[in-house]
Amino acid sequence: MDRRRTTGALGEEIAAAHLERLGWRVVDRNWRSGRLGELDVVALQPGPGRLGTLVFCEVKTRRGLGYGDPLEAITYVKLGRLQALAGQWLAAHELRCDRVRIDAIGVLLHDDAAPVISHLQGVTS
Amino acid sequence: MIVGKARSVALVGLEGTVIEVEAAIGGGLPRTVLVGLPDTSLNEARERCKAAVASTGLEWPKQLVTVNLTPATLPKTGSHYDLGITAAVLAAGEQIATDLLEDTVLMGELGLDGRVRRCRGVLPALLAAVKAGYTRAVVPAEQVSEALLVGGLTIWGVASLAELVEVLKGNPVLDRRLPPAEPRPTPEDPDLRDVVGHAEARWVLEVAAAGRHHLFLHGAPGVGKTMLAERLPSILPDLTPAQALEVTAIHSLAGANVGGGLIRRPPYSAPHHTASLISLVGGGPKASQPGSLSLSHYGVLFLDEATEFAPSLIEALRTPLESGSIHIGRSGAQVRYPARFQLVLSANPCPCGGYGVASRQCTCRPDVVRRYQSRLSGPILDRIDLHHHVRPLTKSLLKSQSPGEASADVAVRVAEARERQARRLGGTRWATNGEVSGPWLRRQLPLPDGLGIVDDAVRQGRLSARGVDKVLRVAWTLADLAGVDRPTASHLRTALALRRGEELGAVA
Repeated sequence: MDRRRTTGALGEEIAAAHLERLGWRVVDRNWRSGRLGELDVVALQPGPGRLGTLVFCEVKTRRGLGYGDPLEAITYVKLGRLQALAGQWLAAHELRCDRVRIDAIGVLLHDDAAPVISHLQGVTS
Repeated sequence: MIVGKARSVALVGLEGTVIEVEAAIGGGLPRTVLVGLPDTSLNEARERCKAAVASTGLEWPKQLVTVNLTPATLPKTGSHYDLGITAAVLAAGEQIATDLLEDTVLMGELGLDGRVRRCRGVLPALLAAVKAGYTRAVVPAEQVSEALLVGGLTIWGVASLAELVEVLKGNPVLDRRLPPAEPRPTPEDPDLRDVVGHAEARWVLEVAAAGRHHLFLHGAPGVGKTMLAERLPSILPDLTPAQALEVTAIHSLAGANVGGGLIRRPPYSAPHHTASLISLVGGGPKASQPGSLSLSHYGVLFLDEATEFAPSLIEALRTPLESGSIHIGRSGAQVRYPARFQLVLSANPCPCGGYGVASRQCTCRPDVVRRYQSRLSGPILDRIDLHHHVRPLTKSLLKSQSPGEASADVAVRVAEARERQARRLGGTRWATNGEVSGPWLRRQLPLPDGLGIVDDAVRQGRLSARGVDKVLRVAWTLADLAGVDRPTASHLRTALALRRGEELGAVA
């Protein structure tokens, strides 16, 4: 359990760092809403408008490919839940933006090499 | 977005259409989507293909993979698309050579370990491919000999996905043809030699074979009706090459192993009376399975204990008896299966089996007997030219009988009679006396001598108008067997006598 939690936390750390490297501003992390679940990373991507795009990121981390690619674990049910969560987050915060999008970030950890990040933009559209 | 393409064949009944398998990679979460009207069995192809690709050491794209089978409106079923789907996906991922894919038809089911398994319908599918102008095909290694029955194609047999990759690179593969010398391990076909006595019944069988007349055998239980019927195919002539190809294609579609060459002998099918309607006429997903009626196309369909068959099953025979084919309508599939069979029915005269049998006492109530005999409807019996009452053998016969004439000898006479018919009926749509229509028989052919006895029979009410046609048809077959140009009075008398079984069975 502990190892699983640290793997996830490590992955989210790596993903957040990756987004900041892209020049996005991380607005929120691990935001929970009751039993619905958790938003891993919320970030503000500059452009295309003046206020930028608010991106809700689901991060999936894996230590190996034994159970498939990290991104394969994101199901349609989960995407639906993300959309609901994104709505709740927007209602709970006073942040203005031009657009909203949901991204998926897969992080594949290696023991002795740099992690591999796959970032898919706009997975629900 | 990268798109890979491969070819396969969609089968609707025996009709094949060459289809294109397209695979596009990219644009979403990793997932594989199959579109183009696949049914459940085809949707499972995704999992098979993925596993096979992994076992072969190749990589299934970790992106959204969309596989499309076009034309997308044509319903598709079966497991033989596996090779095409995998090849298209691997081509889109640029993992295999694509030069040959455009005009090579791929057929084969994949095992999880990358093995290529045999699939149904290779023969009809490749016939369609040739018709559509394709010249190359990849088939499962164990079905190469089946594929070679189709002329004009270069056939590559592959035993595994790895071999397919090699073939597409243009590398030669081993000739996978199985040794064709391997004789069919058929059990000794039943031969007329085994039939002791029954001189009359043997002769009726010969007449039925010669004129391709449908036949009804009545008789007490255990007299040998089944034994006789089983031996009818052994005296029928070989199929013509065109017939053999059609019959083999049907059996290929039914999943039979037809690797031993074309089926040249008339097929024989004897469904049990508990058979379902679908198993008789054909059906299954998108009506993709031919039934017993089609499996006896150009052969013999034997319904043992015909009175035990549900009426709906018997009535289902009417259209094929008339048109020689069955049309099956399903949502999304209109299928025509050929079904030009020779019908042989057998039945006991009553539930106890003793009614009308010389040496036995019937214990059934009269109304029970009547109801039993009315189970076969008039329209069906109308199409049966020959009715024969098989008599029990007496003890002395059993003791003294030498073995009967062998099937091969009878077949010679049958073949000669068929030749005479073919000459006479050349230019019509019929080939045998059993098929000729009544009016044509009466108007286009010279009438036999001695029609007086037929007239008498009609006048006495022993023969209906349709009965006259039956008598004429059989008389012509008798003349053909005798090698004369026109039925004589004696042939007519015999033909009339051959209806006695009908009266004994108290039907029609």
